Amino acid sequence: MDWGYINARMRGMKSRLLDKRALDNLVMQPDLESLIADLEKTPYKPDIIEAKVQYSGVLCIEYALRKNFTRTFRKILQFVKEEEAEKYINIFLHRWDVQNIKTILRGKNIHITNEEILECLVPAGELDEATVIELVRQPDIRAVIDMLATWNIRYSKPLTGEYPEYAKSGDLALLECALDEYYYSDALEQVKIPSYNNGLILNIISLEIDVVNLRTILRMIRDHIDPEEAKKYLISGGKELDRPQLDYLLTLHSIEDVVKELKKTSYRFLADVSPSAMRTQKISVIEKKLEKFLVQQGVSAFFGDPLSVASVIGYFWAKYNEITNIRIISRCKTADFPLDQLKEELVYV
Amino acid sequence: MQGWEVPLGAAIAFAAGAFATGWAQSRIGSAGAGAIAERPETAGSIIILEAIPETLVILGFVVAAMIILMVK
Repeated sequence: MDWGYINARMRGMKSRLLDKRALDNLVMQPDLESLIADLEKTPYKPDIIEAKVQYSGVLCIEYALRKNFTRTFRKILQFVKEEEAEKYINIFLHRWDVQNIKTILRGKNIHITNEEILECLVPAGELDEATVIELVRQPDIRAVIDMLATWNIRYSKPLTGEYPEYAKSGDLALLECALDEYYYSDALEQVKIPSYNNGLILNIISLEIDVVNLRTILRMIRDHIDPEEAKKYLISGGKELDRPQLDYLLTLHSIEDVVKELKKTSYRFLADVSPSAMRTQKISVIEKKLEKFLVQQGVSAFFGDPLSVASVIGYFWAKYNEITNIRIISRCKTADFPLDQLKEELVYV
Repeated sequence: MQGWEVPLGAAIAFAAGAFATGWAQSRIGSAGAGAIAERPETAGSIIILEAIPETLVILGFVVAAMIILMVK
């Protein structure tokens, strides 16, 4: 396993990510057209040129970002083919398969057009563009699951298991939760043998499970969902918050109580959220802080052993954060957001 | 008349340097290839870095030569 080669390429690729100055430059652009023109001066140039042929405005940026993300990770998979690193990168890329399937299911659930669904997909994982297009062509959720089962795609298993329950209740969250649960348990299963690399992946995946569970708990408490009902949507395998702790958090009556309880854990930084946001149950502020924490933890993997999967983890999160930041800038430019508020929304790492 | 120990000592001095150079160059080479693939402008520095471990084998060669020429 030649980690030296992979590490050098990852660091080379990271050096081309947009730094704080470049992002500030994008933020200062007065409108979407100048933002697109400025992005053409960055490594996004080929994707923007391709996107401009079909789209304009924010759709052009969204298309270019999706293309760039997919192209970047396909490139990484090319040079780690048949290496140990491929397994680790696939763990991260499979989440886009889960995300794509969820998007298709949501689209079918609310009966939007196939074109609209396709615009939201990022075929960066195992399911390539042709596969997701075929899935989108299916008339309904049942047909999508059947198609996944026919192609023997692993995600058909949790969906088929949960479908009867969904058919009864019509609650799409059941299918989405089954997919998440399957993805995380599969990822944890792959890295269960103790080793330095497995430990790094395990650490970030379990941290992510904690963040996903906390988000779920906050939403459940805000919407006054019965704790017994809410338990179904939690995922096992978190880093710090085990099942009994999560169950206890669900029984609390307010967001403030949850944040107070989390003071004993690494999530004590949530206590910095303004009391007014907590009183008004504005959980988006807390979710943003959790997201920032997760990204910072992911990117900090770069400081790990260079001859390990650390640089791959660091790059994945840094790239994800860059794309999220550009999306925020483009959306805020569309909505004419004030500059200072826009800067607050960005995560610099 | 030299005994067998002089050429053996020279061989060890040269071989150790050669193996060390080979190992170091393989590691620098693979990482350097990765760096050049992403940033071709670093090729000059990488070639210099790749050549640095050569000093080990040159040193081994000099020591081996000194053993053969100077040990009587």
